Formats: sequence, structure tokens, C-alpha cells
Amino acid sequence: MKALLIVGSPRGQASASRALGGYLLRRLRASGLDVEEAAAGAVLGSPERRHALYKASDEADIVIVSFPLYVDQLPAPLVQALELLAERRRGAMGLTPWPGPFEQKLAAIVQSGFPETSQNLVAVDIMRQFAKEAGFRWAGGLALGMGGAVGRRPLEKAGGRLRNVVKALDIAAASLAAGGDIPDGAAALMARPLMPFWLYRAAATWGFRRRIRKNGARTPRRPT
Amino acid sequence: MNVLILDGGPRDGRGAACRVVAAAAADWARRRGHAVAFLSPDGMALEPCRSCFACWVKHPGACAIRDDAEAIVRAAAAADLMVWITPVTFGGYGPALKRALDRVLPILLPDFIVRRRETRHPLRYVRRRALVVLGTRPDPDPEAERIFHRLVARNALNWDSVHSASHVVTERDESGSAGRVEDLLRAAEEAL
Ligand SMILES: Cc1cc2nc3c(=O)[nH]c(=O)nc-3n(C[C@H](O)[C@H](O)[C@H](O)COP(=O)(O)O)c2cc1C
Repeated sequence: MKALLIVGSPRGQASASRALGGYLLRRLRASGLDVEEAAAGAVLGSPERRHALYKASDEADIVIVSFPLYVDQLPAPLVQALELLAERRRGAMGLTPWPGPFEQKLAAIVQSGFPETSQNLVAVDIMRQFAKEAGFRWAGGLALGMGGAVGRRPLEKAGGRLRNVVKALDIAAASLAAGGDIPDGAAALMARPLMPFWLYRAAATWGFRRRIRKNGARTPRRPT
Repeated sequence: MNVLILDGGPRDGRGAACRVVAAAAADWARRRGHAVAFLSPDGMALEPCRSCFACWVKHPGACAIRDDAEAIVRAAAAADLMVWITPVTFGGYGPALKRALDRVLPILLPDFIVRRRETRHPLRYVRRRALVVLGTRPDPDPEAERIFHRLVARNALNWDSVHSASHVVTERDESGSAGRVEDLLRAAEEAL
């Protein structure tokens, strides 16, 4: 079996999206799957990488898309990459017989800067709709708020605060590797707040204010 | 009143339906005597947001990338009524409109506040705003449309809009859509 991870954050390797998706991918590899990775933004700028993405997605049994919530939905480069992928697949699937695996699954991981996991649910539904329009079977989504608390380091090194996140990914990986979908239990575990909402809001506000002060930056009264 | 129309359709043939809807919206706004800013992101020099947050912490209100996004931010800050038009893409917005919206981050302040029971950011330039988002689709898809309407309601909350509306025009009933679009715009005008 093959798994493909598409990372939808412009921060690439240094992103929470990559930390979450990369961990899931390593768990799948440990279960014997062949794995591959692509960055949505990089695909757009290079015909070679686009070709590599088409090939990898044709061959994959499981495609995982991991991305940050941008304006309540997918970041622009990811929308564009998925649109290309859907167009390509609609064309390629006219081939008889379809050369790829009989059934291809799509799973999504979405995380947001705001603390409420529920803010990500429209984006999960967009991914399910993409799966339908691009001929994937929907295998489920994992959503979490407080993406800012996930960090960018490999989750193998994560502290106790992220234990539910790690456990959710472990459960999802075991099920996907065994031919199943993402269990509801994994999604529920992932959805649990990492800390009280008020605390996250206070910490995040303080963090940005501190950076503004450090830079000596000031807000103009009109847009510049 | 300032009206910003963002025609988020692609510039090629696939954007034809968006152009029709955008022209109808612009025509209505001009007839009503409003000041119209009409922008088509697909034809503009717009790099994708890099998520550097310099527009919040380094030079607040201004993006680190100097390109046509500046014009969009300025028009959005000054708009009373924003009208966004886009092909409904998997229930969400198409790449051109989305690229523009990702770059409007300078319009927000970094503080995390609660607005109608959810965390949001305050707006840097406070104003009474209304938002109307018009989607196009080749044919009806109830699920995609449901997602689209929920998404627009969430976006309206980001802008603290006093009024918002969304509607999906299917390309088959395009000709009959002008009246419906005008009804939505008139309702937004009244709410302001
Ligand atoms: C342009 C832009 C738009 C964003 N929009 C939202 C949003 O609507 N809701 C939210 O909760 N977070 C939003 N965020 C915050 C990101 O989702 C958050 O920082 C995330 O953890 C980044 O993940 P990454 O490290 O994988 O890029 C936005 C960030 C950027 C740069």
C-alpha cells in the first residue's frame, strides 16, 4: 500500500501541518506502507513537481491532506493544487481500465489558530466535497483548534500536553494501515482542547503584543 | 456608499459566469450612485500569503510583499459593502478570490477576542460593513451549496458585518439571476 501526504501550509517543513501530517506518515511507514510527500505551493511553481504529484496521487491508496485554516477554509495554493488534481483525475479516470488502485481514500488534517475545533468543520466538509468531486473515497478528517500550541517539531518529541493529539494520530494510522477509515474516536480525541480557551487567547494575544513591542512597531490609522 | 466588487473568477472561459454576475452587481451599484471599486484578482499581480505575520508585528497594517494586494486591502478597508464573486470550488471559494482574501490579513489586529461566542480578531479599521458573496456552479449541488453558505456566514463574522448574504447562481439559470442578485444587494444597502 502507498500513502501520499500533501502539506498545505506555506511554511512547509516548519509548520504545524507538517508536524501533524509527517507524524501520521511515519506511523504508516512503520506499518509497512510506502510513503511520499508533496507541498501544495511547490507543486504550482514547477511542472516537474506537478507531474510527480499526479503520478503519486494516481498510485496512492491513501492521500492525506494536512493544512492550516486560512479565512475559514483552505489556503489559496492548496485550493489551486486540489483543483488541478481534480481536473487531472476527472480526465485520467476516463481511461479504461483505470490504472490506479481500485479504491483510493482521502483523509484530511486541519488545524486553526483559533482555539475552537469547531471553527475547522467547514474546511473538513470542503475536503469531503473535494474527495467526492475528485473520485476519492472519504476516509474522514481530524480537526483541532489551538494550532499555535502544536509547534513545528516532530511530534515524537512532543510533551504531555499533546498526548491526545499523538494518540489520535496513532489510532488513525493503525486503522488506515489496516484498510479502515479514521475512527470517530480518533477525531474526538484530536478535537479535545489542549488548554482552556481563555488561557490560549490570553497567551496568544500576549505573544503577538510582545513581538510588536520588541519590533517597536506601531499601527497606522489608515491602510498603507 | 463605497462598494467593492471582487470578481474572483478565472480570466479564461471558465470565469464567464462570474463575469456576468460581477457586471450585474457593478451595474446595480453604479445605477444607485455608489462609488464602485471593481477588482479581478486573477488578472492582478498577487503572490500567495507567506504566513510571516509581518503585517501584524513588524509594520502593522502593511504586507511584507509589495504587489497588487495593497490595492485590495485599501479598497476593502474603505468598503461599506463588499461583493465577492467566485466559482464554488468544492463548496469553498476558487483560487483567485482565495488568494486575495488570504492577503487581506493586514486588515485584522492580532488580539484574540470573543465575538458572538467564538474567538476572532478585532478589525484594524472599524466600519459598518455588509458582505454579499455570490457563487457560480455549472449545475446545482445541494451539498456544495450548503458548505458555501456556512462558509460565507463564518467570513461575515470575521468582518463583524452588520449584514451578510450568499447565493449560488447555476450557469443554466444565469439569465434569471440578475434580479435575484439585485434583491440581495438592495437588502444589504438597506441594512447599512
Ligand atoms: C492568511 C491567514 C489566514 C488565517 N485564517 C485563520 C482563520 O480563519 N481561522 C483560524 O483559526 N486561524 C487562521 N489562521 C491561523 C493559522 O491557521 C494558524 O496559525 C495555523 O496554526 C498555522 O499552521 P501551519 O504552521 O501549518 O502553517 C490564518 C493564518 C493566516 C496566515
